[in-house]
Amino acid sequence: MKTGDQRLTGDQVGTIVKMLGLTTDREFNCGECLQHVGEYAERQLSNKPVSDVIASVEQHLALCPECREEYEALRKILEAGQ
Amino acid sequence: MTQNETNWPALLRATDSAVQAAAVRELRDVLQAGLRVALNGRSDVSEAHLEDFAQESLLRVLERLEQFQRRSRFTTWAQAIALNVAFTELRRKRWQDVSLDALLADGERLSEPAMMADDVLGGDEERTRLVATLRHAIETDLTPKQRAAILGELREMPFDQIVELLGTSRSAAYKMLHDARRALKQRLQEAGITGADIQNAF
Ligand SMILES: [Zn+2]
Repeated sequence: MKTGDQRLTGDQVGTIVKMLGLTTDREFNCGECLQHVGEYAERQLSNKPVSDVIASVEQHLALCPECREEYEALRKILEAGQ
Repeated sequence: MTQNETNWPALLRATDSAVQAAAVRELRDVLQAGLRVALNGRSDVSEAHLEDFAQESLLRVLERLEQFQRRSRFTTWAQAIALNVAFTELRRKRWQDVSLDALLADGERLSEPAMMADDVLGGDEERTRLVATLRHAIETDLTPKQRAAILGELREMPFDQIVELLGTSRSAAYKMLHDARRALKQRLQEAGITGADIQNAF
């Protein structure tokens, strides 16, 4: 755990501030993101147009490092399968 | 990709138990192969882990079968669930020793001037004002648990771990974080700090 140094670094303040810039009133949570991330990944890989649902996935991925990590892993699998 | 991509849900629900068992076996193999690709090169993942993750994922997929909406290929949807199962477990292992007290103590200390490292304050006047406003907002507008959640998030603590530490549900923790971010954003906006200022400062 990285709690040894209690101060926020410049990077962390940058992160929080970017996070706030992306915050909207209605957001997908991780469960909703998981439900739709497969469709998002397939559309990204085939350059299909985005829908509202897909935009919500994109916004959640920008904010949530865990879902982003899982999305990137999913891309790896889809790319390996092609 | 398998031949029966469109038939997966039907095969997994087949009343003919031999057909159903074969589909289940095949799906487990598909999930395990995907996990092997995704987790390739990680020193904390053994072959036994891959098997465990695949088995657990399989059960999760079967439980949620009726949630599949055919908006992607079935295997893509199932792989996403498998990755969620595997990464959640790997993150839990990495963070299992962190306590809520440690995180809440971080939140308490946030109000101390030393909480912001020097490199944050070294910038121009606008940036200094932004940081001061943000710090004040974190200190005064958030509950201790919201502060702890935001700090956990900043320190890249996995969301599930934050949920566990806060002793609440996933959706309650998500709402806590979302409300916290909205409160901070509103406070910055009230101080006349816009999205553009934010992007320029960092
Ligand atoms: Zn998420």
